[in-house]
Amino acid sequence: MWEYVRRAAFSVVALFLISFLVFCLTHVVPGSPASVVLDPDTPEEEILEWERDHNLHLPVITQYKIWLVNTLNGDLGESVITERDLAGELAYSIPITVEWVGLSFLLAVVLGLPLGIISALKPGSWVDHIARVIAITGISVPDYWVALMLVAFVAVGLGWFPAGGFVPLSSGLGPHLSALVLPVLTLGLHYMAVLSRYTRASMLEALSQDYVRTARAMGLPPWQVWLYALKNALPPVVNVGAMSFGFSFAHALFIEYVFGIAGLSLALLNAIHELDYPMIQVTVLVITSIFILANLAADLANLALNPKLRQSR
Amino acid sequence: MTLRRDMGNKQLLLLHSIASSRTGFLGLCLVSAMALMAVFAPWIAPYDPTQIDMLNRLQPPSLSHWMGTDLTGRDVFSRLIWGARPSLQVGILAVLIGLPGGFAVGLLAGFYRGTILEAILMRIVEIIAAVPLLIVAIAVVGVLGVKPMPLGPFMITNEVKIIVVLGFLYIPGLARVVFAVAASEATSDYIRARRIQGVGDFTLMVSDILPNCLSVVIVWGTLLTAGGVLAEAGLSFVGLGVQPPDASWGVMLSDARKFIFSGEWWLLLFPGLAISLTVIGLNLLGDALRDILDPRQYTGPRLD
Repeated sequence: MWEYVRRAAFSVVALFLISFLVFCLTHVVPGSPASVVLDPDTPEEEILEWERDHNLHLPVITQYKIWLVNTLNGDLGESVITERDLAGELAYSIPITVEWVGLSFLLAVVLGLPLGIISALKPGSWVDHIARVIAITGISVPDYWVALMLVAFVAVGLGWFPAGGFVPLSSGLGPHLSALVLPVLTLGLHYMAVLSRYTRASMLEALSQDYVRTARAMGLPPWQVWLYALKNALPPVVNVGAMSFGFSFAHALFIEYVFGIAGLSLALLNAIHELDYPMIQVTVLVITSIFILANLAADLANLALNPKLRQSR
Repeated sequence: MTLRRDMGNKQLLLLHSIASSRTGFLGLCLVSAMALMAVFAPWIAPYDPTQIDMLNRLQPPSLSHWMGTDLTGRDVFSRLIWGARPSLQVGILAVLIGLPGGFAVGLLAGFYRGTILEAILMRIVEIIAAVPLLIVAIAVVGVLGVKPMPLGPFMITNEVKIIVVLGFLYIPGLARVVFAVAASEATSDYIRARRIQGVGDFTLMVSDILPNCLSVVIVWGTLLTAGGVLAEAGLSFVGLGVQPPDASWGVMLSDARKFIFSGEWWLLLFPGLAISLTVIGLNLLGDALRDILDPRQYTGPRLD
């Protein structure tokens, strides 16, 4: 129990520190945000006034305190560029990203685990060779290139799916899903490769253990032996899987950029191009939080799956 | 003299073991080819990579332009060859920047395991490791701006910024692998024996434990280089890396993006293939090195 609490507490501390680092980063940069937002020939007093309005004249620590209290109270502030409420912007973009990234990851798990297991059961066979080629290609080929190729050849060339954009569910289930096919495929295949690589390695490790040899020697049917091995091979895969789930939100960045999906990453990229620092802070914080929560979930799942870990420390 | 010959043999042996596995050999070939391209770019490239030739714009591949020409008539093949430079520079230099930090933190924490120093260092490492590297790299470069920044007599180009940011973000990962080896070495009998001989902590760390971490670090370094190549291309693709008109595979893909609706396939195909083959090569090489140098460890570094 203590171990669970320790890990959860650690995640919270990490989140605070990261929010502080991101805050400092956006405030230490040369040049005041005022120079980006206001006209170059704005009089000095107006610039100072604008900075006072945005608390920029206070020390960074004080600014951070104000920002933290507001954020914890659910007030994320507003964009310095569009002056729109950030909470509203996020309420729009987070569900989009969560939906398509979630679907991609589902695809990755459904395809990647079986691929890795089959590959490990028959090492050296043609199935294994094909699976390994798919895996090494999948982790190496940049996904934004895959996305561009899919747009050029499948969406534009064959005209099967839309070339980009996000179609809300209110415009009908068909168009909604068909717009999701290519991005989900791009991200899903990448993480399929990642997961199948880990599953194969972990399963091979499990199959080389003494208990597997004993079980085989006792004449157990192969499927039962495989099941025992799988049970022991899964915890590290769960761990890597949860970490990859966190990463897939960061990885989604290029794909949202190529397909023009108005999700979290595109919001971050746009904020960077406009130097909209409150938006940069919030989007980085949200993506990092998802990542940390996924890692925490992995840790807790591993504690539940592996009793040995619970006694450590 | 004998020591020298020993070292030479060891490296030859390593090269031989890599080449004797089919995938390792393929990886070695791909990586060498890309490295040669980067080093000898001025002599290999048939044209100037930034030479504009409006009369021959958007030509499909032909005998005079093997990979066609782009929007302003620049030779795609020449740009591809020059584009190997920023990719490999970022990939390799970022690892070299991360190495000293990774070694320092990992060795200290591993050697002084169980002390307050280890607790502090490894908690910091865990926190930095809890951040998605790509997002931080993008946020940092984006906030600093893509323009070259003057720093004393030097100009900090965007490429340098990416190298430094990536290198810094590599430290926790490298520190972790060094820590794992250092912690187990520090309690081993030969270290205890050396200590009884009166060897100081610093010497123990640097001349006894550090060499034993090298094989793990070589594997990690290779795989991280692959990550760096991908990061450079990705950042350049979204406009936060190498700035046009300089050639980089990411910049070329970003240019090609404007032509995905009109069918100039050569603009899209070749830069993507170049990135993919480089990264596949580095990953295969890393896998082969791991099989040889570090057979028990089977998890790779996180690259994104």
